[in-house]
Amino acid sequence: MRLALYVTCLVDLMRPSVGFAALRLLEDAGCEVIVPEGQTCCGQPAWSAGERELAADLAKKAIAELEAFDHVVIPSGSCADQVRNVYPQLFADDPDWGPRARTLAGRTHELTSFLADVLKVSAVPGAFDGSVTYHDSCKGLRGLGIKRQPRDLLGLVPGLALKEMGECEECCGFGGAFSVKFGDVSTRIVDRKCDSIAGAGADAVVGGDLGCLMNIEGRLRRRGDETTRVLHIAEVLAGGDA
Amino acid sequence: MTAAAKHSQAMHFQARAGEKVRNPVLQRALQKAKPLFVGKRAKGIAALADDALDFETLRSACESIRNRTLADLDVWLDIFEERATATGAEVLWARDGEEVGRLVVDIARRHGVTKATKSKSMLSEEAHLNEALAEAGIRPVETDLGEYIVQLAGETPSHIIAPAIHKTLEEVEALFAAEHGRPVETRTSADIPDLTREAREVLRQHFLTAEMGISGANFLIAESGTAALVTNEGNGRMVTTLPKVHVVVTGIEKIVPTLEDFATLMRLLPRSATGQSISNYVSLLTGTKREGDCDGPEKTVFILVDNGRANLLGSAYQDMLRCIRCGACMNHCPVYFSLGGHAYGWVYPGPMGSVLTPLYTGIENALDLPHASTGCNQCGSVCPVRIPLPRLMHRLREEQVERGLRPWSERFMLKAWAWLAGRPALYRWMMRRAVRYLNWLADDSGRIRIFGLAPGWSAGRDLPVAAGRTFNELYKARKRA
Repeated sequence: MRLALYVTCLVDLMRPSVGFAALRLLEDAGCEVIVPEGQTCCGQPAWSAGERELAADLAKKAIAELEAFDHVVIPSGSCADQVRNVYPQLFADDPDWGPRARTLAGRTHELTSFLADVLKVSAVPGAFDGSVTYHDSCKGLRGLGIKRQPRDLLGLVPGLALKEMGECEECCGFGGAFSVKFGDVSTRIVDRKCDSIAGAGADAVVGGDLGCLMNIEGRLRRRGDETTRVLHIAEVLAGGDA
Repeated sequence: MTAAAKHSQAMHFQARAGEKVRNPVLQRALQKAKPLFVGKRAKGIAALADDALDFETLRSACESIRNRTLADLDVWLDIFEERATATGAEVLWARDGEEVGRLVVDIARRHGVTKATKSKSMLSEEAHLNEALAEAGIRPVETDLGEYIVQLAGETPSHIIAPAIHKTLEEVEALFAAEHGRPVETRTSADIPDLTREAREVLRQHFLTAEMGISGANFLIAESGTAALVTNEGNGRMVTTLPKVHVVVTGIEKIVPTLEDFATLMRLLPRSATGQSISNYVSLLTGTKREGDCDGPEKTVFILVDNGRANLLGSAYQDMLRCIRCGACMNHCPVYFSLGGHAYGWVYPGPMGSVLTPLYTGIENALDLPHASTGCNQCGSVCPVRIPLPRLMHRLREEQVERGLRPWSERFMLKAWAWLAGRPALYRWMMRRAVRYLNWLADDSGRIRIFGLAPGWSAGRDLPVAAGRTFNELYKARKRA
């Protein structure tokens, strides 16, 4: 099984450890993982801004470099949603790119969904001494139906206790460009999320999307919370030295 | 500029949003309301199982009723007109809000009306009907409790089913004391029934003396020429049965073919709005007072309003016409509950407003609204008629780009980014530079506290920065090792 890991532009730039954690999880589960060197950005920022042509250009680039693999795994619900749900929409009426987009969409998986639903892993390399609370990212949850998978996987981590926060399915207020365009509104929304996290009283907040996590971590620290760790689920599942 | 656009403040969304976020009284009111709305709906939807009903199945049924109606809207409207006329009602058509005002004032003058009681109608807000009536010397009295409060305050509704949701108890007490001529008292939530009674006593006099009642309609039922009214306070019945003239003002999209269809939609409307399995009152209003009836209007007029709706038929936005105005989208919207409805600048707030305002007042007059969404799709997942609200907002963003309405700086940035992302070698090189720059900006704890490239971000948040090297660099190094 030839498998491509698409690390995402945000992980490449802001938190490489998430990419290495994903790599370790997949290799540990027996996959032969290739990280295509030409990968850049899936085009979601352009798509969200309404720049259809730019988004289509970047989508074509991604389709061309990823379509030869049996599976493509992405450690982000948001980028996986872009490939699975938006690419086919972008090329709905295109006789050439349409079928290619749909084929790639069918082979693309968000990381936790791939581990739980496709590989059906029963053990993970990581261990965690403490409690975590899980934030459901919007695109993963409502776009891809990811809810049970991360929780099942966290259940496999020795020493980890899951403490659900209130309103775990509420948006954190990130929304990509939204958090910059409407910074004060976004801050108001993430404040509510921070309250929920504080209410859970866990040692760490864990999620599947780096964008949301940076938003949450940035606000927690600005509010003076220096202790609650903010971790990508790949980092927790793979263990500290990933 | 259309008449609707004249009254819209949607272009000032950004500035208003800032104000609303920093208004502690408003924030308190919103904080209190949100869990109530969300909790009640969740209970209402869960209770469908008690009747062996299933949300997704019902949703499909409601969606298809609305789609079927819209596919032949002209036919159903013709049937409605014919049946309503046969029951003795009059059916008039209005192109826009100004025409609504003219028609209502004209009816009022012909019947010597000096005072009109109103039950909730968002379309009358679109039409600025209260202003038109007041200018003609006719006093409009809002009788829905929330609308009454908003009218006393000289404001507009901030929510389509809870118009005064932005008001606190203290604010209402102050308004009532001033209006009802009594000293201000210290109130707790236990006193709400007293305040309500006070309003009822005042409104009772208006119900008994108004010569005209104006209502909206939640649905128009084509097969019987009937207006359906879904209310909780009972004021709707007073408005539609006591005065000698009853005017129904509603949008042309509110039509459903049959009573059976109406019954199906009623399975989800109150549940989606307030969580109730059925509202306290459901009125089916057909025709005029007949011989032997003890009450009812002598004259019933339907004013069916376009005001931009027909333009959506056959367009990329037709799905929006399915809307049954339950308010669930705004009740589940993180942006709405950070701001309240007034920030949106026109009649309809929240996700449905972010779609309708640009469509009804001009895309160029509401540029921020389609972007005022995190894309979380909490709205789309609760909508009882499955309107893909995020997709419609997204389509509006695309239309802004196509029509050259986005700022050039934003377009330039995205073009530059896409150009770079299309050249992997150069991209990798640039990201290596970028990551070093970010690292240089960060303090000892690995955070950027003031970030000039995205001040909107760092005004409320730190920017956590990591490694100092990109994944790509580290991965290459690892492979070499």
